[in-house]
Order: sequence, then C-alpha cells, then structure tokens
Amino acid sequence: MNFVCCIKQVPDTAEVKIDPETNTLMRSGVESISNPYDLVALETALILKDKYGGWVTALSMGPPQAEQVLKEAISLGADAAVLLSDRAFAGADTLATSYTLYKAIRNLDLDRPVDIVLCGKQAIDGDTAQVGPGIATRLGFTQFTSVIEIRELNTYDRHITVKRRVEGGFEVVRGPLPTVITVDLGLARPRRASLPGLILSLRAVIDKWDADAVGAEVPKIGLKGSPTWVRRIFSPPLKEGGPVFDARKDPVPAVERFLDTIVADEELISELFKNPGV
Amino acid sequence: MSQNSKGIDVAAIIPDRCIGCQICAGECPVGAIEMSGGVAHIDPEVCIGCGKCFEVCPVEAVSFEPKRPQETPQRIPGVPEERFSEYRGVAVFIEVTHGQAAPVSWELTGKARELSQRLGTVVIAFIAGHELKEVVTEALEYGCDEVHVIDDTLLGSYLSRLYGKAVTDLTNTVKPEILLMGATALGRDLASVVATNVETGLTADCTGLDIDEEKRLLLMTRPAFGGNIMATIFCENHRPQMSTVRPGVFRPGERKSDRTGAVHHYPFVPPAGEMPVILDFVRDNTDETGLDIGRFPALVVVGKGACDPESMPMFQELADLIGGVVACSRPVVEAGLMPYERQVGQTGKTVAPKLYFAIGVSGAVQHLVGMQGSRRIVAINSDPHAPIFGVSDTGLIGDYRDVVPLVIKGLRGRFQTIRMK
Repeated sequence: MNFVCCIKQVPDTAEVKIDPETNTLMRSGVESISNPYDLVALETALILKDKYGGWVTALSMGPPQAEQVLKEAISLGADAAVLLSDRAFAGADTLATSYTLYKAIRNLDLDRPVDIVLCGKQAIDGDTAQVGPGIATRLGFTQFTSVIEIRELNTYDRHITVKRRVEGGFEVVRGPLPTVITVDLGLARPRRASLPGLILSLRAVIDKWDADAVGAEVPKIGLKGSPTWVRRIFSPPLKEGGPVFDARKDPVPAVERFLDTIVADEELISELFKNPGV
Repeated sequence: MSQNSKGIDVAAIIPDRCIGCQICAGECPVGAIEMSGGVAHIDPEVCIGCGKCFEVCPVEAVSFEPKRPQETPQRIPGVPEERFSEYRGVAVFIEVTHGQAAPVSWELTGKARELSQRLGTVVIAFIAGHELKEVVTEALEYGCDEVHVIDDTLLGSYLSRLYGKAVTDLTNTVKPEILLMGATALGRDLASVVATNVETGLTADCTGLDIDEEKRLLLMTRPAFGGNIMATIFCENHRPQMSTVRPGVFRPGERKSDRTGAVHHYPFVPPAGEMPVILDFVRDNTDETGLDIGRFPALVVVGKGACDPESMPMFQELADLIGGVVACSRPVVEAGLMPYERQVGQTGKTVAPKLYFAIGVSGAVQHLVGMQGSRRIVAINSDPHAPIFGVSDTGLIGDYRDVVPLVIKGLRGRFQTIRMK
C-alpha cells in the first residue's frame, strides 16, 4: 500500500490572542505547528502501514520553513517527505491549493501508484475542510470525509470500509481504492517520536519541488489561481454582554433576578416548551 | 519610513497586523520577503521600494509611503456584466436526507430572497435526491421562483461523487451567479466537489452574506484563525460565487402555501466507475457515544470551572428540565469526563441552540466560535471577569455548587407557573 499524507503548517491558533488595547491580532511570536488533524491523518497512515506494509510519503505546501512539519513526520515514521515550496504558490486559496497538491500526488503516483491519500478533515487556521475533497475530485479517487474509524482495508480486492460522521449520526461505507480520506480527531491518537526517529529526522533530506517540478500550470497556482480574494479582515464585533447578577454574597435574590430575565424571553420559553420532554 | 544603504525608501511589515497569508511574498518582484515565525519579513537591502506588497496586503500590515498618489488598483478591466451575462439568479442547494429538507436550506432560501431582490434577479432551488415531490412543493412555498430537480433512485442517499455530478450538472446547465449551501457535513463535502468541478471560488462556513450591488459581488464573511478574526471574501472573476453558510445564522424565510413557480426536471447522468456502498447508518440517539449535540434546542455546557464528576447528575437534571443535553468545553474532554462528541468549540462541534446554558465555561475564543450563533446565552461562573459574560445575555456570578441547585428549583417553579397560565 502506498500512502500519501498531506500536512499543513499552521499558526497555533490557541496561542493567537487579541490585543485588548488595539483590538488587533497578536501574531508575532506565535508558534507554528503541524495541523493537529493532519497528525491524526499521519498516525492513521502509520498504523495502516504497520498492519499492511507499505510506504508513507508526507506532503506539504508552504514556505521553506514548513520543512519543519515534514521533519516531524519523518521523526514519527514517514518514509519520505516532499515540500512544495515556490513563491508562485503563495497566496493560494483552497482551489489553487488542491490543484497544486493534486499535481504533486500525480507525480508521486507515476513513481509508485498511490492507494490512499490521507488529510486532516480541516486545518485549524482556515477551518475550510475544502482541500481534501478538492484533491479527491481532481484525482477521481473515492472520497470519504470526516472519517472516525477505519473498519477494514482489503488489500486483495482493493476496497476500504470506513465509519464517517454524517448529519445526525454515523455511516459505515465501503468503497474502492484508490481513495482520499479526511480524518476527524477521534480516529487515532498521534504517537510520540522515538529517539532514533528524531535522529533520523535531523539527518533527513526533504525533497523540495517548485512549480516547475510539480508541473503546475502557472495560471492555476498561488494568488493568480485563486478565485477568492480577501476584501477585509477585522476583529469580531464585540457583543455587549447582558446583565450579570452577583450571587456570591446573597445567592437567593440574585438567582431569582437571573431566572426572571431568562423566563421574560417568552419566545424562548415557548420554543423550549415545544419539546415534549419539558 | 526607513531607507536602506542604497537610499531607497523601503517597506516594512508590522508584525502584529500580519496574518501570514504570504500574498506579499508571492507578489514581491525581487524576493525580498521571507516568512519567519508565522509573519512576513522584508529584507531592506533587497527591497526596491516598489510598494507591491503595500498594495496587495489585505490587512494593512505593510508600512510604506507610496511616492506618487496611488492609482486605484484595477485588477481586471473587463465588465463583469458582459463576461458573466449568462449567469443569473441566486441558487440554494436544498439538502434532503431521508426525505426531509435540512432546516438550514430554508434559512438560505430566506436569505436568497433578500439577496436576489438587491440584485434584481430570481431565487433558484437545486434539489438532488430521490422521491422529492414534497420537498419541491416546500421549496416553492418558501419562495423559490424556479426549482431544478434531479430525482433518481441512484441518489437515494448521499455519496460525494454521485451528488457532486448531479449538482455540477445543474450548475453548468442553470448557471446561477450565486450558489449557496448549508455548512453541514454534507453541504461542505458537496460544495467542495462542485466548486472543484466548475473551477470557481468557494468560501466555507460563512456567518454573514452581503451584496456589492455595483459589481454584483457576493461579500462572504467568515471567522478565521479559530474565530480570532473575521474575513470578508469575494470572488470577482469566476461564477457562480459559492459559499457554505453555517446553520442557525439566518432566520428561515416565510412559508406561504399559495406561492408557485417553475419546476424543471432533468435526467441523472451518473459518473463512470464503481461507487461506494453505504452499509449502515447509526442514528445518534441510538448510540450514546455518537449523540449529536447540535440537534438539541437547549444545551447545558460544562466548562473547566465545573469539571467535577460528582456534579454531573445535577447538570443532567438541569438539562432534562430545559429539554436539552449536557455538552462541554475542551478541557472537560481532555480531563476524560465527557466524550469528544459532546465538545463545543473550534475543535469540537459548532452549535446554535435556542438556549445555551454555560456553567464554569470561561469563554476562550476557540470555544466562543462554536456557539456564538446560539439564540440565548446564559452563563454561570465564579469569576466576575470571565470573558463568557461579555457574550452572555444573562450572567450569574457564583459557585456552581451553590447556585445551580437554586436555579433548578427556581426554574422548575417558574415553568410550572407558566404552564398553568
């Protein structure tokens, strides 16, 4: 089995803070990390490789320092890593990004046919969840999004059975390889790097492909290949909080007033009363 | 403004404004911009002071003084009306599962009516599935002027490739200028496939839609960076302009049984190749671990400040009283007290219940982004400075162990009084 795992380097959004004085984003000094969903995708690839044998290639698109996430992937057990890095890729939206990754996967596929592409369900900086399906559509591979369990991988008849999150529940679905799977956080718990793995990653040479090496058509990549443009970025409007009652000294009257304001919302109460359980 | 050793007035990045989008790095003609620590950095010795980065930066993070008064940047001189004269109408994909339309679909047709009025055009429904007669009628009653339908046994349940093909075909045939879908699991999966097939722009998970009438542009606003910032995005040079919209953001449109419109049926041309087969569907409420908190009208949300196994029965009692379930913030899942399926927030579920009852939730932005669409937010916290009070409609400062029993008792009494009336 030949696995390709797409990994994005993202700012640690948990670290991003708003400057209370200026109400702007404080980005400087924020650490770059591997997108947590993508690490679950990598872990899934590694588990499948351990079980069925094969080869795992980690793939990332980003500036030169995105090499860091690929070194991490090597330290965790990826067999090879390719960084797609070119100024021409910069400013790509999801359409241009999925195109670039698709072209790179096609190149890998020529070398060694790709069976399973794994991506995180979404990246924590953009939260779009659009790149995985975009890659699947372009490759013409079977697409499974929000996968929370790999039930079965049959390498003889080349089918995979997965459990995926859908509206109102889960579905178990079986489809043919090759496939693109986007994974949810619950699918696997990423392992920690071993010491030999860390040493290996320090020595590892990461392949770097520019737009030429990828074979991408220039009008389809980067900013030029991106139909969506950002017009404006602003801090979320601060909602004015409603009344707050202090129940620390004398709880009973505070709770009474608190509840009065809730039940005063007649529309809300009638909505809640529609529920037969209430 | 600083000069380099060659005496050129150079540009500089204001790190706190930079969002690391790399647009400037791609535009710089001399490669003077590198990314470091998540923000752009301009090498002053390489910079030629052309000001390209200043022009393209979406967040005004480049400090630079243009020499001449800037000409208004004209990206594409073509007239949109001519290029896109074939495209018309605001289309909504009506999401149907098990014969029922998703509520978000009617929220979108309601919004589409408003947008179409501002553009002087029609509202179009796209429906794909099987046995759709009732939903077609419903679409007309919700005010769609045209309904375009592909009804086929192969579309009995959702598969990305099949639905992707059907909705791509509808899009290519009908050519709407705008196409909206709900940002549900299905809608986000499908929208990505369609946008890739027709090679147009797609903006995910929007919380605001507006129109630039002059340019006939859809202005799509969405949270980014875990809800820390909002971005308004547009798609000028491709049609349709596509967006998925978060459920619960817009109110459903008015339904009138006397409305009529044109209904067009199309045959389904399935894609080639073997399709996946759905073997099983497990509904949430039959499987405790798979409960969908998004479906409940009320949630009692437990945060780090109330992460206490002994109080769980009390929280459950409150949830039962208001007709909801107990959900939580991330630290509670990390502590192992509740399963991941119950988590609200950026890395959990986005919810928009009628009543959102937070207990011990501090209100970090990563949590707030997952619940801001809630109709009414109520919070109990012992810290008077907890950010949750900044977004709550009603707040109560106090120890949950003291006040929650009083709340349950008081609420039960009030509910009884209201019911008697």
